[in-house]
Amino acid sequence: MSARTATESAVGAAAWGGRFPRSGGTCQLVVLIGLLVAASACALSLGTPYVPLYRLPGALLDADTTLAGVVVTELRVPRLVLALVAGACLGAAGLVLQEALRNPLAVPEMLGVSSGAALGVAAPLVLAVSIPAAVQPLLAIGGAALGGALTLLAAGLGRSPSAVLLTGAAVAAALQAALLVLMVMADQLDLQLIYRYLLGSLSARTWDDVTGLWPWLLVAVPALVLCAPVLSVLRLGDEDAEALGVRAQRARFAALAIAIVLIAPVTAVCGPVAWVGFLAPHLARRLNPGGDAVGWLPWSAAWGSVVVAVADLPARLALAPVETPAGAWTALLGVPAGVALLRSGNRRPTARRRSAGSEARTSAGAESRGSGPDVVPTEVGETR
Amino acid sequence: MSRRFSVFAVLVVVCACAELAAGRGMSPAMVWDVLGGGGDATERHILFQLRLPRLLVALGAGACLGVAGLVLQSALRNPLAGPEVTGVTPGAVLGAVTATGLGLAGWESPFAVVVAACVGGFTGAGLLWLLAGRGPGDPAQTAVHGVLVSAVLGGLTAMVLLVAPGELGSVVQWLVGTTEGRVWQHWHLLWPWALAWGAAAWLMAGPLALLRCGDDIASAAGLSAARARTLALVCAVALTAGAVAAVGALGFVGLLVPHLALAVFGADLRVTLPGAALVGAAVVCGADAAAQLVSQLLAVALDSGRLTLPVGALTACVGAGLLLVVVRRTPSRTF
Repeated sequence: MSARTATESAVGAAAWGGRFPRSGGTCQLVVLIGLLVAASACALSLGTPYVPLYRLPGALLDADTTLAGVVVTELRVPRLVLALVAGACLGAAGLVLQEALRNPLAVPEMLGVSSGAALGVAAPLVLAVSIPAAVQPLLAIGGAALGGALTLLAAGLGRSPSAVLLTGAAVAAALQAALLVLMVMADQLDLQLIYRYLLGSLSARTWDDVTGLWPWLLVAVPALVLCAPVLSVLRLGDEDAEALGVRAQRARFAALAIAIVLIAPVTAVCGPVAWVGFLAPHLARRLNPGGDAVGWLPWSAAWGSVVVAVADLPARLALAPVETPAGAWTALLGVPAGVALLRSGNRRPTARRRSAGSEARTSAGAESRGSGPDVVPTEVGETR
Repeated sequence: MSRRFSVFAVLVVVCACAELAAGRGMSPAMVWDVLGGGGDATERHILFQLRLPRLLVALGAGACLGVAGLVLQSALRNPLAGPEVTGVTPGAVLGAVTATGLGLAGWESPFAVVVAACVGGFTGAGLLWLLAGRGPGDPAQTAVHGVLVSAVLGGLTAMVLLVAPGELGSVVQWLVGTTEGRVWQHWHLLWPWALAWGAAAWLMAGPLALLRCGDDIASAAGLSAARARTLALVCAVALTAGAVAAVGALGFVGLLVPHLALAVFGADLRVTLPGAALVGAAVVCGADAAAQLVSQLLAVALDSGRLTLPVGALTACVGAGLLLVVVRRTPSRTF
């Protein structure tokens, strides 16, 4: 192959983002699959009763006859599947939000989306209004949309990322306060339940919970696929995006709506598992630095799954008879890890002291030239 | 200036009267009667053993939070640096909850709660310092980092609460901040602590005023900026810890009262620090009276017997609205 065709193919590969995995991508794939397999094996075999790995296939096959079989198929497998699906949704939603608002800290927790969804779910619980299970995601979606819309309306879309985040924090605090008022009204037993739910817990979830998620995924995934290319155009900045024929504000609202549809059903089923939407996109970006939004989306979803599945292990096993909520673990581990990724990414000299627009243009240009992984596509929001 | 002080003193007295009169079981006329020396034993008990300490604790905690917020904002030169935003309040909550959960502190040793809250507050502030770095960063950026720190500390608190549940109900009330059921013991614990650290903060008014002008000017005037800032932070954390131990994590008071105080009393901290204490006391006391009133109205409207709106929920909701105003105004203004 001549040098020129090699360059051309490199340009082609880079222009297609992460869809052609290069050396970094392969390495990431190996790590990801390794972690996923390890976490799944641990999730299925550890616990009481302990099912050794070599007995797992047998337990899965005769599910109804043995105790181990029942435990594995009726408790552990749905829990694992739920963790994977929820993590994928949250990771993808986090990436969509961060890309659409061009802000590396725009996570559901910071925008009032999570608190809104939690409020929507917890309110009928406390007020003892009985509602069918199918309506619950709708309430969560209503709450999440309320929180997100309040934040964005109050902050104004064109403002600096920090102002948006602070506004979001204020809205989230107000929604939290409303939630706490509800909790004060509840009695002691309800309170334990709600408190656990609010921290994001995967305990005692069955196949019913998992099947409840599918309809929403059927809506969200095609929308996600359609919207991903627009997201990578939004990265260039509003003016360039408009010049390329994307209506920036409308695209941003669509992205927000998709994120809400992804987050709300997950919140309805397992509570706000916190900060997954913060950590997963940063992991994806960091390990696959040459990509764009289209390339990062699957990685972000996959890393989200891994994060939730891994966090569920200490949640289930760390203080064995007592279950700790998975959301507390993801908050404890996810925030420091995400911040560390963010900071180490920013410390590179290329990422410093450039205006938002030129940053986006240089990183986009660097991608289309197919330069190596040492060029970090900087988060366009001014983090430092 | 003295006119403004007297206006706010009158405001505090009005709020205090409203606080004394609000509540179930006694009509305002009855309160007046009992204050004049009448009433039976139950009524005297309600007024002097329940309502009066509650009023005093609300006043003291509000004053503490107001002064702490002003000290923090001046020392860090950051208009968004309230104790809630710099990780001090969540840290103090974590400290108090952990100490109680481990059995190191409790109702038998209330002073230990204050000390644990203090340690926790320092931890929170230290975490933020580690995260944001020592450079004079963008104020809004520091605040965003503070929210991240609060998330981590909140996760830890939740973990402790779930491992050692205890009385989750009362702890939840305390997490949002409430003056419900505060008695004389709380007040006897709060006032010496608040008075000592408040006096310390007032003695530091001069250095703080210099710090507000920036490190260069402070150094040129012969002030060791780093040392003064550390002392101010110690002061602010101690005041916040005292308030948190008494009434819990009262939302947004420490962030917004200083803005009000600065607008009313001007930038001379020797005047504004006592002013912030007055404003904070008035705000918390008024909010508590309003919360009682609202919960009474709600109880009538919803026809449910047991319904209390914690004062922290009210301050958080009002404060969130005001914070939006501050955020919208801040970027265009240099502090």
